[in-house]
Formats: sequence, C-alpha cells, structure tokens
Amino acid sequence: MSTAFKPDETFRDSFTFRNSEAAIRRFPMPFPEDNYMYSVNIEPHTAGPPGSVTEFPIDIDEHYVAECNERALVLAAEPLRFQALPHMMSAQWDCLELIMESLARDYPQHFALARAGNRWHWINRPLGINRHFTFGEASSLDRQPLDFITRQAQGDWVVMDQREGDLWTEAGMVTTQADWSLDFDVGMTFKEWHGPVPIAHELGVFDRALKFLLNLRLGAPVRRLNWTMTVHPRLDTSPENYPFWGPDRAAVTALNAGDLVNLRVELQGLWRLPRSNAVVFSIRCYLISLRELVTVAKWGRRVHRVLKNLHPELVDYKGLARYRDAVVEWLAPYDDGVPTTPGTAPE
Amino acid sequence: MTEAATIEVEVTAIDQVTPLIKHFRLAPVDGGTLPAFSGGSHIIVVMHGAARAHRNPYSVLSPPNRLDAYEIGVRRMEESRGGSHFMHDSVRVGSRLQIAHPVNLFGLDKIARKHVLIAGGIGITPFLAMLEDLYGGPVPYELHYSVRSPEHAAFLGRLRRREGGRVHLYCDSEQQAINFEALLGNQPLGTHVYVCGPGGMISRVAAVAKDCGWPDSHIHWEQFSAPPVGDAFEVFLARSRISVHVPPDQSLLESIEAAGVEVPYLCRGGVCGFCQTRVLEVDGELLHNDHFLSEAERASGKTIMPCVSRARCRSLLLDL
Amino acid sequence: MLVTGIKSKPVYAPLRYDAGGRYHVMLGQEVGEAPLLRVLGDMSGSPEALARTRVLYVPLRAAAAGAAPAAAFGGAGVADVRIFGTTAALLEAFRDLLGRALMGTRLYVAGPESFIGLAMKIALEFNLNKDEIRAEECGTRARRVYCIHCRTTTENVRTNIVTCGGCTRSLLVRDHYSRRLAAYMGVMADAEVPGELPPIREVFA
Repeated sequence: MSTAFKPDETFRDSFTFRNSEAAIRRFPMPFPEDNYMYSVNIEPHTAGPPGSVTEFPIDIDEHYVAECNERALVLAAEPLRFQALPHMMSAQWDCLELIMESLARDYPQHFALARAGNRWHWINRPLGINRHFTFGEASSLDRQPLDFITRQAQGDWVVMDQREGDLWTEAGMVTTQADWSLDFDVGMTFKEWHGPVPIAHELGVFDRALKFLLNLRLGAPVRRLNWTMTVHPRLDTSPENYPFWGPDRAAVTALNAGDLVNLRVELQGLWRLPRSNAVVFSIRCYLISLRELVTVAKWGRRVHRVLKNLHPELVDYKGLARYRDAVVEWLAPYDDGVPTTPGTAPE
Repeated sequence: MTEAATIEVEVTAIDQVTPLIKHFRLAPVDGGTLPAFSGGSHIIVVMHGAARAHRNPYSVLSPPNRLDAYEIGVRRMEESRGGSHFMHDSVRVGSRLQIAHPVNLFGLDKIARKHVLIAGGIGITPFLAMLEDLYGGPVPYELHYSVRSPEHAAFLGRLRRREGGRVHLYCDSEQQAINFEALLGNQPLGTHVYVCGPGGMISRVAAVAKDCGWPDSHIHWEQFSAPPVGDAFEVFLARSRISVHVPPDQSLLESIEAAGVEVPYLCRGGVCGFCQTRVLEVDGELLHNDHFLSEAERASGKTIMPCVSRARCRSLLLDL
Repeated sequence: MLVTGIKSKPVYAPLRYDAGGRYHVMLGQEVGEAPLLRVLGDMSGSPEALARTRVLYVPLRAAAAGAAPAAAFGGAGVADVRIFGTTAALLEAFRDLLGRALMGTRLYVAGPESFIGLAMKIALEFNLNKDEIRAEECGTRARRVYCIHCRTTTENVRTNIVTCGGCTRSLLVRDHYSRRLAAYMGVMADAEVPGELPPIREVFA
C-alpha cells in the first residue's frame, strides 16, 4: 500500500483528522453481528488480506507521522506517560527489536534496519531518523529503548512481566488510551489492571484470557479487537486529561453527532518476547467519524443496532451515557431494517 | 504447537563431555540466526527414527546472546524409549533435526533479591544459560551442583572459570551432599530457589523449602522425565473418528501424533496444561501422571494430560 | 465509568496464624491490637513460634502509649514487642527489620486500610507476596486518594467526593486501587458538566 502521510493532521484543538476513502474501507470494524457483548475474542495474529490493517503484524497507515507528532506533544507535557520499572530493561530491548524488525521488513520504502552483530543502524524516513546504536547498551540511545521506538510507532504499548503465575503491568508507552492511566496502573497484575471493566470478570473473561496469555508462545502472536467511542478524533482521552475532554461529551446532539462522534477501535496484538519472556500488548487505535462510517451501508445499519441495544453497564463503562441516545438518533435514518450479513467486512 | 512452527537445524558439533552426556551444537540450515531466548528455556527436538518420531525437550544451555547456534546437552538414559539413544547413537555432525521455538517454563524471577540454583546431574543444563543472564548483574546468586563423581560434572571447567566461588560442587563419590536445611534455612527475604535434576532431589528441595516456610511461588523446578510406561491400551478419537493403539513404551500423546492427529502441546512433561484433553468416556481407569490437574479434576474422570498419563481400560473415548 | 465493584480493590480477611511460616512479623495500628492478640492467642500452644515472633505496634494518639499494649502483647507470650509513638517510626523500623529477615517470614498486618497500604508498599520492596502476607482491616476506612490529574495524594478521605489537596478539583473517589501508590484513584467528578455533582456522602467512615 502506498501511503501518503498527512503530517499536519491534528488530534486536538482544530481536529483536522480525516480518513481517506481507502482508510475508511480498511477500517477494522469490531462488530461481527448486530449485538455486542464481551468475549475472549482472541485469534492468531496471522496475515490478513493485502491492504487490510492485519496484513502486517504492526500496521502503519496514512496517519503515521501525525500520530507520532501527537505522541511527542503528549510526552512533552507529561513525561510519566512512559514508564518502565528497572527490571524491565531486557523487555524494552525485545520490544525495540520486534518493532524495528517488523517495520523494516514490511515497509521497506519507509524503514531500514541493518545489523552487524550488536551494531545496529536504523533509518526512519518519514520521521527523518538515522541512528547508529548498540543493541543492549542503554547508553548508546538517548532515551530508554521502549521510549525511543514507541515514539516511532502508532498506538500504545504495554509490557507485562510473567512471574508467579501472573502477568504484571510494568512498562509502557500510553498516550492514546481510552481512559486508563499507566501511571496509576503500573505494578498491577492483569486482573487488577482490568479491575474497572464491568461484567467481564463475572463472565470469566479475564481468567481465561490470563490462562491463555501465560502460555503465549514465541512466534505465535495473537490479536483481538476492542472498541469505544470518542467525541472528536481525540487520541489522548486519558484520565489525566479528563478535565479537558470530559466536557466534549456534553456537547453532542442528534444534529452534530455525525461529525463529532467517532467510533474508536483498538486492534490489540499480544506477543511473547524472547529475552525477557515478557508479554507485550500493543493497542493500536483507529478512529472513524460516524459520517465517514455510514458511507458503508452495512456499517451504518449495524452500528445503529449495536448501540441501541448495548447493555447499560457497557454504555456506562464505555463513557457513552451522556450521548448514546443522540448517536442512536443520528444513525437511525441509516438503518432501514434490512438484515446484515455476519462478519465485519463491508458488503 | 503445530508442526509448521519448527526450525530446520543441522548438527555442527558433538562432544562427549562426560561418560553419559553428549553436547550438541545446532545451527540453522539456512544460515542466519536462531530466535533469541531467555535462560531456562527448552526446545523440543524432533528426531525421525526408523520406527517412529521422537519429540524430546532439551534445555538450551548456550548463552542467550549467542544466536548463531543453540547448544544442548543430552544424557544417555538407561531405560530410554529411544530419544536419548537416537541422539547418542544415530545423530552425527551434519545430521538434520527440527526444533521448535524456545519455551520457558523455568524462568528467573525478575524481582528476586537473590537466586539459589540447585542442579543434579544433567539438570545443570538450564542453569548454564540462566547464569549468563545473571552474570554481572546486581542480584546475588549461587549454584549448587550435585553429581555422582567428578567425571560426571559436565561443563564444570567452564562454570568454574566464569563463576568461581559462586559454584559449589558436591560429589556423591566423595560423600558430599547438599545440606538443604542449612542452605534454605538461611536465605534473605525475596530469595528464589530453582532446582533441576532427578525427581527425588526436586521433592526433597520442595519439602525442605516448605518446612523452612518458603511459599510455593519462590520454589521453581524443572524435571525432564520420560513419560511413564505402562500396559498397552486402545483409545478412540471421537472427532477424528479413528482408533489409536498406545503401546507400552509410547505415550498417549506420541501415539495420537503417530496416527496423524495433532494435539496442542508445550512442555510434554505434564506440567504446563497445554495438552489437556477432554475424556468423553472411559471404561476402566485413568492413570494420571501429571503435575497440573487438581485432585478433583483427576477424580472427575473427565480430563487427561496425554503427554504423561495413560489408562488401564477396555475403552477410552477422547474429544480429539 | 465504574466506581464501585472494581476488582483491584484489596480484599482483607481476619488474621489467622500461618503455621507454615517459620518467623512471624506482626504490625498493628490503633484498633489493630485486637486481631494481633487473637493471632497470638492461636499461637499459644507453639512456644517455638512465639519465640520467633516480633510485634511492632503504634497505638491511638489520644490513648496513653506504652504500658497497656506492651503488657497485653507480653501477656500473650511474645518477647519481642516494640511500641512506637508514630506510624512513620514504626514503618522505618519495619523496613529495617525486613532487610535482616530470612525466607520463611510471614507478615501479619492489622489496622486501618491506609496503614495496611503503607506497610504493603514496604513489603513489596522485599519481594514478599500475597502468600506471605495477611492483612485484616479494622478501624477507620478513611482512604488515601491519588488525584490522577495533579498526582497529589489526599489523606484521610471519608466522603465519595473530595476536594483535591493539590489542584482543588472535586474528585470522585473510585474503588480502583494501586498497591504501588497505596491509594485509590480520584478523578474529576464534574468534568463533563461543571458543578454537576452527585450528593456528597460519608461512605468511608
């Protein structure tokens, strides 16, 4: 896929973010049917169709440069969005290797990685980075390895150490989150971190997910989709900045919902890491305004139905309470009651 | 674990390091590097013998930062079902084998304040790689290595050169034995103990550690035991609709694999739970040899670990 | 957003003697005295265990420190009892003690949740995990609240909404708990519509 980057796109203030038609067509729709409830919807992270968001293990799209710029802005104001406990250094290097290898292999027009033993040479053309460093030697990079590389990747990254039969959230770069705080959660176990998610615990979702992830194998990553909604294409919907984006929720009406409200989908990838035996969790965020979304007829019908019938606890947990009805009203004309086909692909 | 996920390797060196232990060097056939791994990992080595395939786990003992080849150590087992004999007698320099990606079920605890490593015989192998991960780091560690006699202490020279006084050797032949009570009764808070060796040694360490008040989460063990042998029996796979004969010297898992049906597995030693299979019906009794199922699960008769467990039965129906 | 019923909220249980441990370290604050005496009572038939038990205790400020609790613990057969005038002093002594402690140690903590949280933070430094620690909550349920916006911790919070001691926002006190910070999360309560607050109630008495 030839990517024309849009470096001046913004995810704050003027919100100039827009999806091209190609970006709309490849959008990872999270609803395979007209109703939604939690499940352990994990599947092998294998190559999807060419041009799709899962064609490559780590996806780069037209928003790449703009998202990296946005991340830099968040970090400049709040350095604690990146944290790594001291014992996570080998995991940081594992992540750096994973991301550099993937990007160089899958997007050779943009990235290059040359290695002579531990002497590595990394080129990132879109961001203008050309860097020699020694793999494994922290002093050869001006930032911690995970910090350095995730500033050059879209989406959030969380690294969990595996010990005592559990997974511990102990390093991460989190600037595009849907309302959770790395600073608060660092040090938590898998289930503690997911503590604030309603219902799923009672369904046994996290027990099964944890058991599965504890046996995650090298060379066999998995993925799943998660979703919520955001007012304006704002990536940084952190609890830290809730005072700034919270008021947006009260600004949605049945008239403006199409432009203000975005479906926000997380493509989550999970890899076992080689040297640290840790698990890295990538949370890649895709946004699409309702107006863009309804250009695909099937999606207009389906999203209307999903939101209309959504379990009240999920409405609350996903922060939709104040504007769900306005959204449903805006979407109603796009739902003619025609049955939809199962699966997420546009018809 | 599926057959597709294996790496082709070639044996590039073989050394007889003790009368019973051979050391093998495995390099990728296509050049390049092997996957990085963490100390304590093992690989499943797939050996295609004349009569059957063997899939045995071996710890990777080479330094985790040297990826041009993996090194493993194989002890010739007296009562072998063939795997170790195959490695000792049939594998030559130039032989080709398949290996799976490293799996670590015996990793170092990253926030431990001290590591105590206890090895018996061939159990030294995972520690060689783990020591590389520990060397030069801020966390204190020591190795206690028990062997039948000095000539059976594999890799001792290499260990002593690198670790010096951090290695303590005990030879049965010289009436030296590890004093587990003294060792485990005097460790600072936050110490973890790791033991790899014969089953009896592991049981003893676990018992003494518990007696000294250690919680289970600080006691780590790895055991490479061959699946127990037993009477032959028949099993029927409900979904595959085939009947499988399980001979005395082949495990249930191996027999199912030989019949062409894949079962997910990781450790092949009854520890990780990955191959847990639903029992639909059994006319007889299940013989559980694993370390994973609870008492209740074993008693239920509804589940089994085919890698190490067997049955004494007229019929057994599995959900495979 | 989920406020209550969050799975990261710590769960406490009545203290019971753990005979699997070889050494026993007991910490108590204020009304935590009673649970500790109960555990010591359970141990009365094990003089060897009592000989390897240490008690560190800080009484209510208002009460006369020293004589009464020391006597009570002594009466329970523990030789090593230390009474402290302040919680800070107790915690410092506790850290020092753990630095010299051996594997096989069990920790028992009794008192208000905030005290337990601070003790756990120190225990974490020494890789003590849930199998080695028992905690019984008693006394005030007042919380330590970490403002996620300005990162200030406000002590002694009894109400569901509290004014942040740092940025003065009205914070909703959630059940989401961090062991590392030994505090519950406070998040701005009226971000969406300024001034729109739920009724303020004393919930953590």
